[in-house]
Amino acid sequence: MIEVHELTKTFQDKKRGAFNAVDGVSFTARPGEVFGLLGPNGAGKTTLLRMLATILTPSSGTATIAGFDIGRQPQQVREHIGFLTGSAGLYERLTARETVAYFGDLQGLAPEERDRRIRSIFAALDMEEFADRRGDKLSTGQKQRVSIARAIIHEPPVLFFDEPTSGLDVIAARTVVRFIRRCRDEGRTVIFSTHIMSEVEALCDRIGVIYGGRLAAVGTLEELRAQTGQTAFESVFLRLIGEED
Amino acid sequence: MSTTTPAPPTPGVPETPAIPPGRRPRRSPIAVVLRKELLETFRDKRTVFSVIISPLLITPLMLAVVGGVVSRQVKQERVETLPVGMVGAKEAPSVRDALRGAPGMRFEDVTQAEAEERIRARRLRAAIVLPADSEARMREMREVPVRILVDAGSDTSQAAARRLRDLFTERGRRVIARRLMDQGLSSELASPFAVSEAPLKSGGTGATMMLATFLPYVLVISAIIGGLYAANDLVAGEKERGTLETLLVSRASRRDIVTGKFLAVAAVSLVSSFLSIVGLLIPFYLPIPGLDWMAKADLKLSATAIAVMLFVQLPLAVLGAGLLLAISTFSRNQKEAQTYLSPVLIVVTVAAMLSMFLKAESSRLLALVPVLNAAMALKQALTGTVDVAFVAIAFAASIVYAALAIAFATALFQRESVLLKA
Repeated sequence: MIEVHELTKTFQDKKRGAFNAVDGVSFTARPGEVFGLLGPNGAGKTTLLRMLATILTPSSGTATIAGFDIGRQPQQVREHIGFLTGSAGLYERLTARETVAYFGDLQGLAPEERDRRIRSIFAALDMEEFADRRGDKLSTGQKQRVSIARAIIHEPPVLFFDEPTSGLDVIAARTVVRFIRRCRDEGRTVIFSTHIMSEVEALCDRIGVIYGGRLAAVGTLEELRAQTGQTAFESVFLRLIGEED
Repeated sequence: MSTTTPAPPTPGVPETPAIPPGRRPRRSPIAVVLRKELLETFRDKRTVFSVIISPLLITPLMLAVVGGVVSRQVKQERVETLPVGMVGAKEAPSVRDALRGAPGMRFEDVTQAEAEERIRARRLRAAIVLPADSEARMREMREVPVRILVDAGSDTSQAAARRLRDLFTERGRRVIARRLMDQGLSSELASPFAVSEAPLKSGGTGATMMLATFLPYVLVISAIIGGLYAANDLVAGEKERGTLETLLVSRASRRDIVTGKFLAVAAVSLVSSFLSIVGLLIPFYLPIPGLDWMAKADLKLSATAIAVMLFVQLPLAVLGAGLLLAISTFSRNQKEAQTYLSPVLIVVTVAAMLSMFLKAESSRLLALVPVLNAAMALKQALTGTVDVAFVAIAFAASIVYAALAIAFATALFQRESVLLKA
């Protein structure tokens, strides 16, 4: 469960002065739901997710993640979330198994429990073959699977995916999409941020359209179509952000 | 930590899945981070080279080369026969007699013009010029003015001139003694003092002075920069590869993460500075060809000296670790860290170098200057002139500076604008 209330982040920029990267955003995402965050580059998606993940402190507004307040209980929040970005890398000199074990240890898992989960995740993602290979010897797709394993080793009820398919080929991207579906089916709350329309259509139960730091609209795909009177999703999107021809 | 029980869910909304069992904090996140960083660091060939191989190999090797060159040069100067010109000696047989059998010199009779030309051409090292009435002056026991022609721009010419001056002093004394005996007087009249030097065993020899001059510099630098690659890799490297963000969203607090990372860099620095001391001790205690000059020069490191080395090196390594980590945290990537490092390394190098020009027994105020204080304490240790108060102040000051550096690095690590700039 994620509840976001009037979340705002103000940055100081040499060129622009003070500006709101995220501006009064409110929404709710429920367990067993994939909430899509759709917007062009620079719309504020990453800043929003980083605030929810307690990496950035909000300038104003609040949010609760799995019942914990991001401002007052950041450590409990971090215990209950998994975070996967397309830009995240791996430790080059650690093996896949060591990397995942490291994050299990950081999350406070007992060694037996940690190893049991590694076995089950590695089996589910078909990772045994390269489990003991170093990070710098893995292919892009293999790296992405290690990143997924790393993000879910503590079985978090809430998952954030920030452009998780960027830089991946079709097959690797499909692994990620399947994995997100599985998380939803297991009853987790998933936030999926992207600028790719087709992924939103294929995956998201509800969609928040974000532009210029503001949430322009929230609803199911059907609701957004009805709201704009458009059927093609690209036209729906452009109308919602006020950029239609 | 009450992290195992989630807070009650907000009323009216579906409950999120409960956190499964098995979440029992076993090890502190600091220990987890430290263990992983050390594992990764020592898999890095650059670190292994700069932390283990270089201190154990480079220091003794440098000692061998420097020591070998210096002692050979000294030996060469001692045994070499110097060609020296003599102007006007043909007319002065008694002067020639007085100089007969001068060790390490070969005299050639030349004219003044020849002497000047040959000294310039380096075929003669120096020349002596005797006045035309030298023989008469000797007979009448009057002073004979002797001029030494020397090339002021040449070290070897000046060394030859020094040897000539010594020769004339010594032979002059013989002439006086003979004259006194001719008069039936004791030769001791000419030398009221009989001065000789008795070098003390522990007082250090010439070779000790040389070691004491450049070794503190080498040791201090190795303590400061031992953790360089590790520090760059641990924060700037993690930013560069996009792994830092994944670390920040884990349960571990930022303070725990930066503490674990600091301990890892400090451990690497400590190993590096410890091994550089070991590398320095090897030639003292093992008969290695090329380094036997140290044994022959009767160089010994006392237990006190070794204790002082450890005492000042260790806090210095910690200070270096804090400094390197702060730079690494501030930088976007490893390249930027290298850029910020350069001016810092220059300041550190200059501070360490200053120790070469300062006397071991210097003002205790210097014990407050970071880096230089450690170098000076090392110099005292190597020359056997340890000032306990100086070493104690240097130790305390280094700990204070190390604590400041750690506090600075930790504060930087809490700042989101620093952590997330990319």
